[in-house]
Amino acid sequence: MTELAHHSTDYSVVESESPDVMGRNLRVGAHLWSSATAFFFVAFLFTYFYLRSLNNHGLWRPKGVNAPVTLGTLIAVAVALSAIMTFAAARKLRAGDRSAFRSLGVVALALGLAAVVLQIVVFATVGFGPTDGAYASVFLAWSGFYMVFVVGTMYWLEVLLATSFRYRGHGAAARPAPGEASGDAHRMGDDIASPISLQSPGADAFAFTWGVLAGIGVITWIILYLI
Amino acid sequence: MSSSAADGNRRHALRIAALTVIATAIALPLVILVLGPNMPPGKDTTAGVSQVFDNTVLLVVMTPFTMFILIFILYSVLAFRVRPGDNDQRDGAAIRGHMPSQIVWLATTTAAVLFLAIFGSAELLASNGAGGGEGPKPIAKPSGSVFQVQVIGQQWEFTYRYPSYGGVETAQLVLPVGQEIEFHVTSLDAVHSFWAYELGVKADANPGVDNVAFVKVKKPGTFQIRCAELCGLWHGYMFDTGRVVSQSQFATWIAGQQRTFAGSQQYLPKYSLTYTPDPQDRAG
Amino acid sequence: MKLRRLIGFNLLTAVILGVIGFYVGWWLGSLFTSESVAYLKESNQHDISLFIGYFTGVLGFLVGLGFANYPVQRMLGKPASLREKETQGKTRYLGLCTDHKVVGLQYLIGIGAFIFIGGLNAMLIRYELITPNQHAWNGNNYLTLVGLHGTMMMGMMTSGILGPFANYLVPIMIGARRMAFPRIEALTFWLLMAAGAILMTAIAFGGFPTGWTGYAPLIDQANMGVDAYIAFFAIVGLSMCLLGLNMVATVITMRAPGMTWGRLPIFVWGQFSTAILMLLAPPVLISTLLMVMLDRTAQTGFFNDQIGGSSYLYENLFWFFGHPEVYILALPGMGILLEILPVFTRKPLWGYKLAVSGLMGIALLSWLVWQHHLFMSGINADLRPFYMLSTELISLPTGFIFICALGTLWAGRIRLTSPMLFCLAWLFNFLIGGLSGVFLSDVPSDVTTHGSFFSMAHFHYTIMGALLFSFFGGIYFWLPKMTGIKLNERLAKAHFWVMFISFNCTFGPLLVIGFLGMPRRAVTYAGYLQGANTWVSVSAFFLGGSMLIFIFNFVWSLVFVREPAGDNPWNSKSIEWQLPSPVPVHNFDRIPTFGPDPYPYGNVGSDAVPSMPAVTPARPTQ
Repeated sequence: MTELAHHSTDYSVVESESPDVMGRNLRVGAHLWSSATAFFFVAFLFTYFYLRSLNNHGLWRPKGVNAPVTLGTLIAVAVALSAIMTFAAARKLRAGDRSAFRSLGVVALALGLAAVVLQIVVFATVGFGPTDGAYASVFLAWSGFYMVFVVGTMYWLEVLLATSFRYRGHGAAARPAPGEASGDAHRMGDDIASPISLQSPGADAFAFTWGVLAGIGVITWIILYLI
Repeated sequence: MSSSAADGNRRHALRIAALTVIATAIALPLVILVLGPNMPPGKDTTAGVSQVFDNTVLLVVMTPFTMFILIFILYSVLAFRVRPGDNDQRDGAAIRGHMPSQIVWLATTTAAVLFLAIFGSAELLASNGAGGGEGPKPIAKPSGSVFQVQVIGQQWEFTYRYPSYGGVETAQLVLPVGQEIEFHVTSLDAVHSFWAYELGVKADANPGVDNVAFVKVKKPGTFQIRCAELCGLWHGYMFDTGRVVSQSQFATWIAGQQRTFAGSQQYLPKYSLTYTPDPQDRAG
Repeated sequence: MKLRRLIGFNLLTAVILGVIGFYVGWWLGSLFTSESVAYLKESNQHDISLFIGYFTGVLGFLVGLGFANYPVQRMLGKPASLREKETQGKTRYLGLCTDHKVVGLQYLIGIGAFIFIGGLNAMLIRYELITPNQHAWNGNNYLTLVGLHGTMMMGMMTSGILGPFANYLVPIMIGARRMAFPRIEALTFWLLMAAGAILMTAIAFGGFPTGWTGYAPLIDQANMGVDAYIAFFAIVGLSMCLLGLNMVATVITMRAPGMTWGRLPIFVWGQFSTAILMLLAPPVLISTLLMVMLDRTAQTGFFNDQIGGSSYLYENLFWFFGHPEVYILALPGMGILLEILPVFTRKPLWGYKLAVSGLMGIALLSWLVWQHHLFMSGINADLRPFYMLSTELISLPTGFIFICALGTLWAGRIRLTSPMLFCLAWLFNFLIGGLSGVFLSDVPSDVTTHGSFFSMAHFHYTIMGALLFSFFGGIYFWLPKMTGIKLNERLAKAHFWVMFISFNCTFGPLLVIGFLGMPRRAVTYAGYLQGANTWVSVSAFFLGGSMLIFIFNFVWSLVFVREPAGDNPWNSKSIEWQLPSPVPVHNFDRIPTFGPDPYPYGNVGSDAVPSMPAVTPARPTQ
């Protein structure tokens, strides 16, 4: 036992956390995650330009290896639109308009998932395979892993929307019922005071993350499809 | 800090300085005259000479810093140690920093580093790459004529082709003494590394790449060749012995090789700087 | 009754679900029959099955531990919470626990176990190298041992200090009750454990011949065993990235009142600078390993020059990660060194700002040097002087750490406890490691030393001589705080001396042997090097033996003797020592407010004036 802490202190009297703390963490975490994501794709960016400059055995991009520009553009548009709508949705939520957030969010989610479906179509119909040169390899790998990130990000959006729908009748300072927040029926779920109010910082953090990923998607489109 | 403590500290500082100067004064001649000239890989080739000189300069620059740090640590531990039974509760001096010391340290280490970087670059360029592989477009190369030999690495042996002798491929590396030699190192499969130890030559062998290194050997002898990049199962056994012989001995030897392989020469691919083996096999 | 407790989300369930998941994935992989993978089938290589199996196995493992519960709850719209069920007691350590102190101790045991295995591999390698011609292991097994040793050590030691020590101490040192993302913290630990298990399965699939660097195209060529290496490293990369993310976020957002950036303990700066690298470098590794995986399964051409790829691509990508990686290894040890020195010299840290700029400078410069691993590869020769300069420049911020350590020793009152001995050894070993690095950074000198045992001894001096010594220093220093139990100081000193002397007897000669022409990873060597190699091997066995002293001390003190350590056995002024040992679940009764000086040691004015405390507890008005 010392001045600063006692073993015997009942943990429940230790103050439950203000939601500002988690809100800050979400914002900082989103920035950090986005930077890590950017580095992941930097590797592909380097690979593209490096292998293109080497053009070993002239097999960077053999004749007949052409990217489906229409589909690719549709994917880029879907992703960009989805991100823009997400920013709008987050702004609505900050202003307190939760039903507008839900509507915009659902459309953004649908657009994101549509991009994934379109990418699957690209993979099924593209006229070249992984063995058809370095560009083909980069194209398939880069697009494929990009979609993995999109799926994960759409999961986050789904979580935000699901919570919003579940608590649509309640006020902003709603406290969940015992066991509701952590899923454990025995816990009071009071480790964060008013976790519902985390929706807005969460939406802001999400919008940032999705915005960066959409930006990466547009760059991907430019490099793989346009140049 | 009390003035007697400050005097005490000044004494310690002077002692450390004196010990450092003495240790450096003893070490530097040893480094310059004994250790440096005997550093590997030896002075029988141009590459070796430049590497030995380079290593000597590195050692000379490092010596004062090393002496200072080691002496400082040893002295401090001995001089400032709390003896058992001492009043353990007092703290040491509340010194949070000392700008002059920091500036001197920053200045000397920066000067040392910049000097070494510039010196190393100059040495590299002046010695035709100091025996290291410079890639397909070397920037530091000898003027005048060169003797070309290609080193082909494959799992798990080196073979050698002589373009000016009809592209004959031999299993032994024999070189003429006193000539600028231009190695072209390439691989047929994985990444290997051609390391001719006593020559002071090392160049990685990459598939589809021509890696060029230069050396001139001053006297005849033998040298070890070892693969220096992990290339699979028998990497450890990918070694060889090369020979440097006089011009006439070399001429005799290469003529003999051409005769021996005259019949099988037609089955070899034409001499080129890189090769494309076919098919790509997955070996264990 | 007892059987019921076994059913639930715990380690046992996780292992069972992991194994089931592996077989499910294996079966899924066998369904692939497209043209590009027909070649795989013909050569009886089940890479696709193995990769998918590893992936689903890890998923099953995580589900079994309970990591899927929270994401599924969130999908159903249930709001956020921080903690899983937090019972007191020892069973917390065998599952998903969001208490950062529990995670820290889990890391210590988990990493310790895998490092022990990696160390055994090293003993077996040195056993082989006693003579050049008599072989203890066949060629494939030898290379697998080399690869397993290097890979296991690299994968485990990158989190070797952040995992155990930073997770435990950083929240306490900044006055917080938790890390920013407690569940992610737990996830990083269990990902690392799953990865370690996967690497061990490499033996079952024929081992791998590439060493820890996994160069292409050899890695494309190799047997299935290398898939374990690829999966291991990719999962470790993810664990590192998340650990870094958590650590950076925590230091940015969770600092208590009064804990400004200029008052952070230098230990926290060390972990913070490392965490930035851990966040950004592993994604490049993961990308690269995914490309290798595609080369091996879908027959893409990233590293195959015959279809437009390049072996240089791999070298560049790998070392772009690889160089920050080795500074991820070096920086935390510097943080420990500079944190412990003030305690045992009873002086403030000398040159705090210089030390911080040293740590952050190393972190920044580490991105700009990677091509020094490619000096002999045949890269564009114009590039070499630049990378020679950048590599030599990185010794400048490293030098700051040295001068700050020396300044802290100066005019101190030095107590040679076991943590202090390990710190002094850090200085000695890193000096040799750093100087050998200067040789390697100089291109003419590198011609002989690249790929030789000189290079190997260099990184063992920095990674083992410095990092592992600071790791043990940290254990002897902080384990009394974490467990409340003293470790035997005499055994600790015996461990130190045997380890220090045998370490230098092992790796000092290797510096020379490398210069004398012995390449790395080779199972045989020139006859004139036999005497030296035998000496090195015997020293290595003593080095391994010193670990046994540690393990004996650990078990003997913690299990049998169990002498209480008290709250502040080292008489440190840092905040974690103002808390009970072990630290209670909630860390602080009330969040403290920090004073202006993290190192309030030293006599201000006269000898009799006591120093200001670092921390005042918050007034109980909240």
